[in-house]
Amino acid sequence: MAYTKIEIRHLSKHYEDFATGSKKAQDIPRKNVIDNLNLKINAREFICVLGHSGCGKSTLLNLIAGYIKPDEGEILINEGKEKVTGPSPNRGVVFQEHALFPWYTVEQNIGFGPKMAHKNKETIQQIVDEYITMIGLEEYRKCYPDQLSGGMKQRVGIARAFANEADILLMDEPFSALDEFTRANMQKELLKIWGRNKATVVFITHSIEEAVLLADRVIVMGEGKVVTDTGIEMPREERELNNPKFMDYVNYFKGYIQDK
Amino acid sequence: MKRKRRYNSTAVRIGSIIAFVVIWQLFSFYNEKAELMNPVFLPGPIDVFRTMLEYLEDGTLFKHVSASLIRIFKGYFLGISIAILLGYFMAKIRILNDVLDPVLGIFGSIPPYAFCPLFIIWFGIGEVSKVFLITYTTLLPMIGYVVQGVRSVDPLLIRSAKSLGGSELQVFFRVLVPSALPFVLNGMKVCLGLTFSALIVAEMMGASTGLGYIIVNARNWFLVSDMFLSLVLIALIYTIIKQIICLLEAKFLKWKKSGMDAIE
Ligand SMILES: Nc1ncnc2c1ncn2[C@@H]1O[C@H](COP(=O)(O)OP(=O)(O)OP(=O)(O)O)[C@@H](O)[C@H]1O
Ligand SMILES: [Mg+2]
Repeated sequence: MAYTKIEIRHLSKHYEDFATGSKKAQDIPRKNVIDNLNLKINAREFICVLGHSGCGKSTLLNLIAGYIKPDEGEILINEGKEKVTGPSPNRGVVFQEHALFPWYTVEQNIGFGPKMAHKNKETIQQIVDEYITMIGLEEYRKCYPDQLSGGMKQRVGIARAFANEADILLMDEPFSALDEFTRANMQKELLKIWGRNKATVVFITHSIEEAVLLADRVIVMGEGKVVTDTGIEMPREERELNNPKFMDYVNYFKGYIQDK
Repeated sequence: MKRKRRYNSTAVRIGSIIAFVVIWQLFSFYNEKAELMNPVFLPGPIDVFRTMLEYLEDGTLFKHVSASLIRIFKGYFLGISIAILLGYFMAKIRILNDVLDPVLGIFGSIPPYAFCPLFIIWFGIGEVSKVFLITYTTLLPMIGYVVQGVRSVDPLLIRSAKSLGGSELQVFFRVLVPSALPFVLNGMKVCLGLTFSALIVAEMMGASTGLGYIIVNARNWFLVSDMFLSLVLIALIYTIIKQIICLLEAKFLKWKKSGMDAIE
């Protein structure tokens, strides 16, 4: 039996509607952004979440991260041993806008998590060295985020999340601001890092190709629910645009997203 | 960018000050000949320097400068500290902000020096009323800077700090403080000018020591050179304190300067 890392049960979430008049809003049945969503994610699984813009992908991620509270339902971690009630260092997050601390150098940003955990200086230095080498930014270790390019910042953001050695990684469109070439490199790097530490990854993306390239399993969301939940039965080495099997998957998911 | 142009900003700035002093001296020499006004009323830098030596010899210089400095430090630090505390809680607690903001707005619309006689009636002519005026004058505008600083914190940074295991206290010192610091230091620079004007007003309204006292006393006896001495000392002390804040900025806000120029 697979180990259930994340279990989402009957999850619902709505936001107050500011657009409609305050009194009338009570007459309209409220619209849930996440609507009775159920999902199980196994340990060490790489999940990609697809869906058209505004379907609630970021909301789902923020709920798992513990930044916002659900209206109904719950999110359980480690076979139901823990319940998500707030952010935790066990659930690392990589943001679309990198969210590096501008007053810390590359080194200090990557070492932030270990430092918060009061690890000793040598251990922190060791962790920082390891991840800074992994993302190939050794020469930039003393630089501030403002001195880096967009792709470099994103790499530091990923290293920072990995350096904290969280066993769950939540990523909200981390590569969408990058050009195609950098993006392809980052995808390879991400798979490489993940291959070593085997965290459970929930990766949100707009790009169907990216999802099919990275995931063990792709979830398509719509109307606050899971529309389809499909494993990619194909070794990662064979996932290339000119492989017809790859394109079959892409077209399969395209069908779900364009229906909307 | 600076290196390319071989333009030395510091040298130009120092040159500017020297040129000002030289022109002032030359004009005062010329005035002695041409008598555009009574030469007693327009002493040159040399006369002011001579006056300073006299003050130094009889020990009054130290007495007046230290009296003013002590008032500034008490009033400024009290004002800044209260503002940081109050501003922090106003930014964090909505109801506190809604209660205090309108009242502070009313007080802010009254020039603080208008309260000076009132403070003297309440707290007497001694040190308390002077320090109180300085504290009050510094405090009010400083609160605004602190509130703005605390509110400027990017919520995304707080989220990432928490997901990296930061406790409330760690988030406070490693995210909130550095975010708010540029606003606070800038506020401290702006408010320093207000602190000094409050100091001079307080010392002119009844004191027997201090730089403000020198000015009033000099007016009564037409000691214009003494007056100039006091003005020069005020400028000097103000500049030194401001420079210290700039040094703090350079040390703590190193990360801010590393970005790009808007247009090169
Ligand atoms: N803080 C908020 N307050 C009110 N409504 C919100 C808030 N955040 C999101 N929403 C609404 O919830 C819905 C889902 O938003 P969400 O950000 O989860 O979408 P998404 O799937 O991540 O979209 P995208 O792919 O464009 O990032 C949207 O209709 C949005 O308007
Ligand atoms: Mg989103």
